[in-house]
Amino acid sequence: MEVALRGVWHSYDGRTRALRGVELVFAGPGIYVVLGPNGAGKTTLLKIASLILKPSGGSVLVDGVDFWGLSEGERDVIRRRVAYVHDKPILLRGSARENAALGMRIRGEVDEALLEHYMRRYGLTDVEGLPASRLSAGQAKAVTLVRALTVRPKLLALDEPFAFLDDSRARTLVEDIARIAEGGGTVLVATHYMYRELRDVVSYVVEIISGEVRSVAKLR
Amino acid sequence: MAEGILQVTARSLYISAVASLAAFAAAVLTSSYLARSRRRVELLTPVFESLVGVPTTVVGLLVYMLLSPRGPLGFLKLLYTPYAVMVGEFLVALPAAVAYMARSFHTVREGVRELVLSLGVSSEGVVSALALRELAPTLLTSYLVAFSRAIGELGVALIVGGGIEGYTNVLTTAIALQASIGEYEEAIWTGLVLIAITVVVALAVRFLGERVLWR
Repeated sequence: MEVALRGVWHSYDGRTRALRGVELVFAGPGIYVVLGPNGAGKTTLLKIASLILKPSGGSVLVDGVDFWGLSEGERDVIRRRVAYVHDKPILLRGSARENAALGMRIRGEVDEALLEHYMRRYGLTDVEGLPASRLSAGQAKAVTLVRALTVRPKLLALDEPFAFLDDSRARTLVEDIARIAEGGGTVLVATHYMYRELRDVVSYVVEIISGEVRSVAKLR
Repeated sequence: MAEGILQVTARSLYISAVASLAAFAAAVLTSSYLARSRRRVELLTPVFESLVGVPTTVVGLLVYMLLSPRGPLGFLKLLYTPYAVMVGEFLVALPAAVAYMARSFHTVREGVRELVLSLGVSSEGVVSALALRELAPTLLTSYLVAFSRAIGELGVALIVGGGIEGYTNVLTTAIALQASIGEYEEAIWTGLVLIAITVVVALAVRFLGERVLWR
């Protein structure tokens, strides 16, 4: 799945630009790290590339097709291949397990075995019955990761995925995203620092500062 | 007072429950409509917030003019009936319930929409269903706000109900009547009953919410 941003800019308030004239192509399988300081526009870039946020200007091409020029129905078909994980965990009322299964549930395709697999992998089995409000920050983050992983996205976008995670879960996540990339998927990771174990699996590093892409480096 | 406190209490509960439930339902619909656009919320919520401050006697006067024999709704012959009090209490409770709900509806709906989109789904039906569950505590609290406004108001009940014993007399009009004829001890007891009802209803609704609706 190729996502290309052409002359993309975005402003939330009509005055300040969070992104300025971004020209960037996430050309198929691999792990792309979007690196930059706080407030650089990483989250905005990731949300636009994940088809959640419509940019104020420019176009978003998915496999060569202008995504925002498509009908609602056509956009939905493409969106089903994408999942995005917010930097701060967003959980709804209900147990950890209900939250982890939410992505599959709202898509109408619950795979209990897959859910069980990821719940165990991220050490959530013991807390699966706990209300979401009683989870620690790390557990909550892990639930949001499981929620995204279980929908088997072709494009997975992770905003500051290592925030709140302990080393063990962070290593598990790196293994999982590496597997997605090896399987032909695209993984976008926005982060303000390069997690050490991520370095070995990253394909490209996109440096963004003040809403502008400064460099794109190929690592593998 | 010939009428017993139990009868007045039962009537108060009946009238206020009907009025506040109707106001609550209308507030949910109004808030859902407002919540669909940030512009609507920002433009219209302050209107409802301002309406909360309108004295209940003014609302009573408005309802009186509507329902009086020469008013536009005079043909309904509702003046000085419990239904007139219900209409008035509905109008008193509605702005408070909307003012409490509208912004939360918008914020929660937007948050849920973004979450649902992040999982590759954009169905408004899914967003509404999930948002409604998230809003359970807000809904309960806003119902309590509506009920408290309805049961505690005097202006409407006095102007369009008339505090007729055995028919439209409710706790607030009973207190006013008792105080006006110097029966302060009875007025205080009636006041305590009114306070007890609002506290018990608030605790019961909270308990129900915590145990059933938003575990």
